Amino acid sequence: MADPRRPGKVARDKPPATETNPALEDPTPDYMNLLGMVFSMCGLMLKLKWCAWIAVYCSFISFANSRSSEDTKQMMSSFMLSISAVVMSYLQNPQPMSPPW
Amino acid sequence: MKNLYIFIAVLFIPWSFSLAKYDEFEDGDDIMEYDDNDFAEFEDVNEDAVTESPQRIITTEDDEEEATVELEGQDENQEDFDDADTQEGDTESEPYDDEEFEGYEEKPDASHSKNKDPITIVNVPAHLQNSWESYYMEILMVTGLLAYIMNYIIGKNKNNRLAHAWFNTHRELLESNFALVGDDGTNKEATSTGKLNQENEHIYNLWCSGRVCCEGMLIQLKFLKRQDLLNVLARMMRPASDQVQIKVTMNDEDMDTYVFAVGTRKALVRLQKEMQDLSEFCSDKPKSGAKYGLPDSLAILSEMGEVTEGMMDAKMIHFLTHYADKIESVQFSDQFSGPKLMQEEGQLTKLPETKKTLLFTFNVPGLGNTSPKDMESLLPLMSMVIYSIDKAKKFRLNREGKQKADKNRARVEENFLKLTHVQRQEAAQSRREEKKRAEKERIMNEEDPEKQRRLEEAALRREQKKLEKKQMKMKQIKVKAM
Repeated sequence: MADPRRPGKVARDKPPATETNPALEDPTPDYMNLLGMVFSMCGLMLKLKWCAWIAVYCSFISFANSRSSEDTKQMMSSFMLSISAVVMSYLQNPQPMSPPW
Repeated sequence: MKNLYIFIAVLFIPWSFSLAKYDEFEDGDDIMEYDDNDFAEFEDVNEDAVTESPQRIITTEDDEEEATVELEGQDENQEDFDDADTQEGDTESEPYDDEEFEGYEEKPDASHSKNKDPITIVNVPAHLQNSWESYYMEILMVTGLLAYIMNYIIGKNKNNRLAHAWFNTHRELLESNFALVGDDGTNKEATSTGKLNQENEHIYNLWCSGRVCCEGMLIQLKFLKRQDLLNVLARMMRPASDQVQIKVTMNDEDMDTYVFAVGTRKALVRLQKEMQDLSEFCSDKPKSGAKYGLPDSLAILSEMGEVTEGMMDAKMIHFLTHYADKIESVQFSDQFSGPKLMQEEGQLTKLPETKKTLLFTFNVPGLGNTSPKDMESLLPLMSMVIYSIDKAKKFRLNREGKQKADKNRARVEENFLKLTHVQRQEAAQSRREEKKRAEKERIMNEEDPEKQRRLEEAALRREQKKLEKKQMKMKQIKVKAM
């Protein structure tokens, strides 16, 4: 069998996922990022502890689902915001969180 | 590094909490006797009253029991006060008349009965206790976070191991077929990196190029999101499997014009709805492949029967039958342009770009519980891909088939043009108006009056000529109609 390889005919990889595909592919990290920020603002403004905790979870989920091309700065900022929401809620009101039931 | 930072940050939270709590318990007081500063004023009032004042205060706060217990508590408290008073009063009672104490005769009886009444200890509500046990919700949350992090690390490592196992199994076959294996697009020269390109914690890419017939081949290992705990839990309800997606871009001269797909019925129905080319060229529902000896699970979508006949040769049937459980879909198309784009009416002015492509989607066996060894079973499928590339080059439609294919493509284009006719007309109209306006402006801006007059005359003449042409055309049409 002849060698099918043709070194002269090598084409470079042009990543097709540029303008439309990132949005089509998986919106989870973006949604979770947004949700995390919304919950942490709620937790900070309304002093709701459970909001702040959900914000921490959202930022973790967003991080786990993120693409490698995404900014780590954005991830870290949303993470820090949610941690600060938790800490502020507890500083203002050190009582333990009461379950909703 | 990212993981380490997050891990350390998360550890800080419970540690800071524990520090804050231990400060308050340094002197090791009994929990029952420890009061908030708000209630400290009651501490020194009466030794006997200490155990009961929290009870009284708490029962007053407890709305349900306020009416009944409060009196009891108050009575008991008053009794204590009175006891102390009477004790003190024994020495000082001499200057007082006995008459003054008439109303209090029942009190000593009450104090006796007090000893027989059981002391009801009311449970202090959790939000007023200050032990770390009352923080059980927080502890639950932190445990959940730790579990998530553990799952992230484990899932990421598993995906990584699976990807490398796949690559090690397939490396030889790929390197013998392609000159360039692995390219992340960053190097200036086209050199083989020989490594997978990690896009995500669950998606790995590999670009191979440098072969006869095809421009290049992009392999995407789309694993399950094992690093996301939510996904893991969702998969317990709905099992799914890892997928290997292969997209071979063919050279223009190496593939004839046809659209053909084979795969599981469910996958084909979905593709027919989603993919631009399949929806336009393969209008029939997926047909069963039993005629060619394929198992029932597989169905065929084809532009015309001749293509199916040509594609289903012995070796292809052998591949499809033996590995039917791993095949999700196989699509050969010369009009491939990806999924249907949901665009607004005004934007669709030209057909999307098409490329001659072969697409393969394979399911990794194991339905999620895959081990690195399972990757070896995918090797024959890669051989099928290579065989398909060569076959697509060799397969040519006969004259009839070619005519049909060309007709189909012309039809699709015409439909598209009709749809966008209105938009194109509007666009042409606006362009013409724009030209006129620009010319008028030029005339106005012309300073020399002579030149202005001449330009105006020229524009008028052009308009007249156009009108004449139109009239001629109308006359011709009328004559022809007659």
